[in-house]
Amino acid sequence: MRWRYILHTIAIMCLFFGLTMMLPLVVGLYYRDQSVAPLLKSMAITVFSGLALHFLFRSGKAEVISQREGMAIVAIGWTAVGLFGALPFYFDSGFERFVDAVFESVSGFTTTGASILTNIEGVSKGLLFWRSFIQWLGGMGIIVLSVAILPFLGVGGMQLYKAEVPSPVPDKLKPRIRDTAMILWKVYALISLAQTALLLLGGMSLFDAVCHTFTTMPTGGFSTKNASIAHFDSVYFDCVFIFFMLMAGINFSLHYQFLRGKPLVFWQDSECRFFLGAVLVLTVVVSINLYGSVYTGIGSALRYGAFQVVSIITTTGFATADYELWPAMTQLILLLCMFIGASAGSTGGGMKCLRIMLCFKYCYRELFNLIHPHAVSPIKIGGKSVPDDVMRSVVGFLALYMGLFAISSVALAGLGVDFTTSFAAIAASIGNIGPGFGMVGPVDNYARIPYMGKWLLIWCMLLGRLEIFTVIILVVPEFWRK
Amino acid sequence: MYLKIIIVGAGEVGFHIASHLALENKDVVVLDNNPEAIRRVSDHLDVQVVTGSGSSPVVLEEAGIQDAEIILAVTNSDETNLVACLVANIISPSTKKLARVRNADFDAYHGHFREVAPHIDTIINPDIEVVKTIHRMMSVPGAVDIGEFADGRLKFVGVNLENDSQLAGARLLDLPQIIGKARLLIAAVVREDELIIPRGKDRLKSGDLVYFISEEDKLLDTLSLFNKFEQPLKRALVIGGGRIGYRLARLLEEHSIYCKIIERNPDRCTYLAERLNKTIVLSGDGSDQGLLSEENIQDMDVVITLTSDEETNILASLLAKRMGARKTITRISKFSYFPLTNAIGIEQVVSPRLSAINSILQHVRKGKVLSAISIKGEQAEVIEAVALETSDIVEKPLREISFPKGAMVAGIIRKDTIVVPTGESIIQPDDRVIIFARKEAIPKIEKILSVKLEYF
Repeated sequence: MRWRYILHTIAIMCLFFGLTMMLPLVVGLYYRDQSVAPLLKSMAITVFSGLALHFLFRSGKAEVISQREGMAIVAIGWTAVGLFGALPFYFDSGFERFVDAVFESVSGFTTTGASILTNIEGVSKGLLFWRSFIQWLGGMGIIVLSVAILPFLGVGGMQLYKAEVPSPVPDKLKPRIRDTAMILWKVYALISLAQTALLLLGGMSLFDAVCHTFTTMPTGGFSTKNASIAHFDSVYFDCVFIFFMLMAGINFSLHYQFLRGKPLVFWQDSECRFFLGAVLVLTVVVSINLYGSVYTGIGSALRYGAFQVVSIITTTGFATADYELWPAMTQLILLLCMFIGASAGSTGGGMKCLRIMLCFKYCYRELFNLIHPHAVSPIKIGGKSVPDDVMRSVVGFLALYMGLFAISSVALAGLGVDFTTSFAAIAASIGNIGPGFGMVGPVDNYARIPYMGKWLLIWCMLLGRLEIFTVIILVVPEFWRK
Repeated sequence: MYLKIIIVGAGEVGFHIASHLALENKDVVVLDNNPEAIRRVSDHLDVQVVTGSGSSPVVLEEAGIQDAEIILAVTNSDETNLVACLVANIISPSTKKLARVRNADFDAYHGHFREVAPHIDTIINPDIEVVKTIHRMMSVPGAVDIGEFADGRLKFVGVNLENDSQLAGARLLDLPQIIGKARLLIAAVVREDELIIPRGKDRLKSGDLVYFISEEDKLLDTLSLFNKFEQPLKRALVIGGGRIGYRLARLLEEHSIYCKIIERNPDRCTYLAERLNKTIVLSGDGSDQGLLSEENIQDMDVVITLTSDEETNILASLLAKRMGARKTITRISKFSYFPLTNAIGIEQVVSPRLSAINSILQHVRKGKVLSAISIKGEQAEVIEAVALETSDIVEKPLREISFPKGAMVAGIIRKDTIVVPTGESIIQPDDRVIIFARKEAIPKIEKILSVKLEYF
């Protein structure tokens, strides 16, 4: 481990990140609100820290970085960005304790969308913009953005990319990692632009349209309204959001291929089929369950049911209804959706459809081999067999995910939180969803979680966003051994 | 859009060519059907990888053969390489094709492959290149490394600087005073495995591997400055009678050098004995002391170890040296051993892989760049290029050109004269310039020559 190099890379990232605070600053200046001072202060601190680290470790240069160093850079980099991103919140009067600011910031970067704010509409515009903007940055990945823009990361880029991009087998769209990162960001920006346009067309204000786009595309879920999307109460907006949440939940390399003129690509990809199929089936089941018991019309049952299923399975976490008042079966389905998550290579969280599929196929193979003990039956995805090491890492991931979920929820309950809430808060944090059940339901927030509980949830959000391994490896003693 | 190159085969040759080209801002796609080899590439290099056989049309299409400029087929199997080129020729006829073909049986058909069937633009046979290299090394006394430019009129030579040399400890600035009239241009120095492009104030140290440029006819004078004198080679012993050993023996026969060849496999010995007339074929173990002294190893001018097992080669060379052979040349393929050679006393090393890489790079860079040779394994390249009128380097003294760090002009060839440059020299349009450059300086050199290095 070459710490000079790791810290130097992180220094450059901080510097770069500090400069992105210009954008909310412009918004703050435009609205002349009280966010200007906190943003200026935070920007100064971030840029200064970046510069200081840069000069301290400037001798750190490396041609090639190891996988281990890549993981360290990503995990520590994300932590640093989470802390620096919390500064604007901390300097604002609305956040009393530092942990609250960090919670809001990390929840933003990891695209969780869990908030401790009770009165969102009371927060200044500049900060609200910042809150949405960090979700947008975190969605496609701050490291992927750095790889795309900062040339010096080119050589070690692949290691960083692998550590950040949520996928069991990261696709390389182009021979150079820089071009790949650039394409992903371009596609991401393009779809975001389309969404903003459609929201404006429906009559939303520019500020709200941009902020909501910034939280839809990364499947984040922050809203500028207390009542989330329910505030707008419009079928048109609901449809736009459903459509773009689904887009965000699909592997972005498919979007790229689609834009390159392959219209059938969504149907040809088996994971995408699985994902859309699951959404369809669950929507139908939920709507039937809601029809009659909650909503009298089939139309509104479908509208609210579909929105909530899509919102949760893509791990966005927008709400148009209080699903805690819905029947138990629907609630359980939504809870399961939190675990399934979106597609690999998308901006969504959760376990990812690809892993679930592989797990199903793995189980089926075990059964199949009991019947045909001599059969050679490789696990295939899209006609190609999956290498054993990928399969191993998938099984390892699922086991770690469930294990960490179990331990964390017990720990949260140990801090005095009730049964449903501990269970749901951890599931919603580790899956990067946002709203859960109980104390943290869609109409509540995370403000009443105890102090230590918030740190625990912050840790879970990071675990979930960086797909467990990159973060958990930091607490393995072997990682630090020379 | 960068230039796109597909490399079939992720072995040692494919890996190193990919690493070269990826650093030079080319879009590289590497194919191999061995997932382990592919993993090594994707872990270490910024290139795209595809797992699958390079001879399969489906895989080649997946790798994007249609928009590739060049395909390099460098797997271990001649057949795979040929089929890959054949398939590429069908799918994408405009893609330039280069294949590594080693089997001597194909030798007579190279022209055919080029003009008729798969239209392979270049066929590389590293065995031939290695034999050429060995022959060059034999002809230049004391040289550790040797390359040629301007059709052999200009040589670049690497020699070890011994303790007793008058140059040891001298500053480059002071060289003219020490050596008098003869001009000597030191292009690069390898010290402790680091390749340095030295400046005037740097000193030479004993133990350095010094690279210099010299005209062909003045080479022996220059070598004498380093206390290396010519002694005619008359007797050679080759250990290992594989493809390279056989080719070398044939070449030595042509040059009337008395040659013995030791081969372990009796059947192979019969094969060799049938085909070689003057060479004495010995059946036995090349590291057997008894056999070596029986065959008068102490009188051998040069011992060349060429078995396929590099550990055996190293030990056999050391043994031969100890038993009195004047000079040894050792075949080593594993690049990770190169830094060791100096320390364990192996003087001259040849590597079919390095030869293959050199000639492939050289062929890939045709156009305004005439030839390129990579030295010291990988760290630097010598490039011979034509100075274009439009480029930044012409018509002003070299002093005023801002050359990138780690690069220098080592020679200027103007029609028939060769200029060893000083700060005052001026490059004129259409001169051929020879540039020494560390790997990382190469993209900048491309820029300075004001043309993209044209590929093919």
